[in-house]
Amino acid sequence: MILVPITYRGGVYRHNEIIDLIEDLGGYIVQKHMIAQEVVLQCFVPKDDVELIRAIGKPLAGEVIDSPLVGTEIAVVSMSLEIHHLPHPSCDIAEYVRRLGAKSNMVGMARGVGKRIAGINDEERDVINEHDIAVYLLGNFEHCIEHKMPVLLRGIEVPVVLCGGPDKEVLQRIVEPKMDGYVGNVGRFMHRTKESEELTKLDEIVTEITRVLEKRREELAKDPLSVSPARLMDVIREQVPTILSVTSPTPLTVQMSGLRVKLPYDPFAEVLRKTEIEDGITIGDIADIEPSRMRDYIILKVRPFSETNTVI
Amino acid sequence: MQAIEYFEVECTEKLGGEYYRQITNDVLLDHNLLRVIHKIHIYIDPKIPIFVAVGILKKVTTLVRVGDIANVNPQEGKMTLAISDETYLAPMLKQFWDRFGKDHVDQPDRFTVILTGVEAGAKEIEEMVIADPSQALYKDLIYALRCICPEGFRVRSENYGAEKFSFVASEDMLTEDRLALVKEKFALMGETP
Repeated sequence: MILVPITYRGGVYRHNEIIDLIEDLGGYIVQKHMIAQEVVLQCFVPKDDVELIRAIGKPLAGEVIDSPLVGTEIAVVSMSLEIHHLPHPSCDIAEYVRRLGAKSNMVGMARGVGKRIAGINDEERDVINEHDIAVYLLGNFEHCIEHKMPVLLRGIEVPVVLCGGPDKEVLQRIVEPKMDGYVGNVGRFMHRTKESEELTKLDEIVTEITRVLEKRREELAKDPLSVSPARLMDVIREQVPTILSVTSPTPLTVQMSGLRVKLPYDPFAEVLRKTEIEDGITIGDIADIEPSRMRDYIILKVRPFSETNTVI
Repeated sequence: MQAIEYFEVECTEKLGGEYYRQITNDVLLDHNLLRVIHKIHIYIDPKIPIFVAVGILKKVTTLVRVGDIANVNPQEGKMTLAISDETYLAPMLKQFWDRFGKDHVDQPDRFTVILTGVEAGAKEIEEMVIADPSQALYKDLIYALRCICPEGFRVRSENYGAEKFSFVASEDMLTEDRLALVKEKFALMGETP
């Protein structure tokens, strides 16, 4: 069964029917937002049943949109948290990808600014590596980008999309080592992105992120995961009830090949490890449970089929 | 931008310069500084690296007096002030308290201040200076230039006064050459530092 990421947007009235339907079909709801009279469900559903959900949602004024970013966690890496980069463009971009279903986190570097003085520390590196993809937002000068990028990429293992002021071709030429995606003409600016060409630029960033993630999905499909992270999320939600009392917006954050569990590591790592998924197989058997560098959360990395010989 | 007579951003990288022109415009607009700047020239060379901003301010508007923000109506034994602009209300009240004492100053509502038993005449009250906007101006200007300048440029030299300002910033230590550079940029505007 192939699961595809979609967003359902509709009225509050009878939305439980849609939730039941998705669950009955074997889909998973990653995030649910209730905004006034509107419900937004970000979910994974079986590919063949998308039309069915669309048809059943129609009388309830619901619409179904393909959202390739659902179930991904994106690090938006800003060179600092000063007024120079915030709220524009860092927040604009982080917010835009969030609207399309991704869970985005902003990583503000301690010493990312400047040319000679730019650097990355171990905590920043580890936090970025916990995500599915990193979007680096750089400045307007090609000379600076050329000079500082090798330093800022030290130890980064996740795919990187680079946004900078110079044209895309220039970025591709100057930056070493080569990156997975480039978006030109998005450097530092000090105004809100509201003009149509600026919004087109944001769309371009999303397209680039989607392209890079698709490539990563294809790689994952070659050696499938032992369990889908969305399913793991459901299992934890049912069997570790403490997660229900966590007040974070997404207590369980689904990633492409793992899950971030927002519970403290020491008391809950063992509980998770022993949680049974099916037929005596526990989470510990098929996933690595490690402490996250983000607060004292737990990061769960699902091992592929080639390592565990199990798919559930 | 229309209010500035001379507005140039010079940069060794063409595209970078265009972006910085936009940034400069946005920041000055956000900080309400476009109307006070007469000329501004910015020079950026990321290779050195250096950022220079030089400029001339317009003659700063005169001091704010009570008469500018309120109508003074003398009545028997008291004086009623109808406030038309609240911006300088707080410094005005402070002046009144210092001069006449809190017992003689009353503010029954937001737009009315009543002075009772004061000896000063209406004319004298109207002429009282309550604020000097130029004092905060240079502070705002330097703050705005710090926002415009690339963030890594943390070694700064700021000079201002007598309607002129110069701001030099770099990542590395600033050398004496910067004075010549400032002079050169002022000359481009047809001015001297």
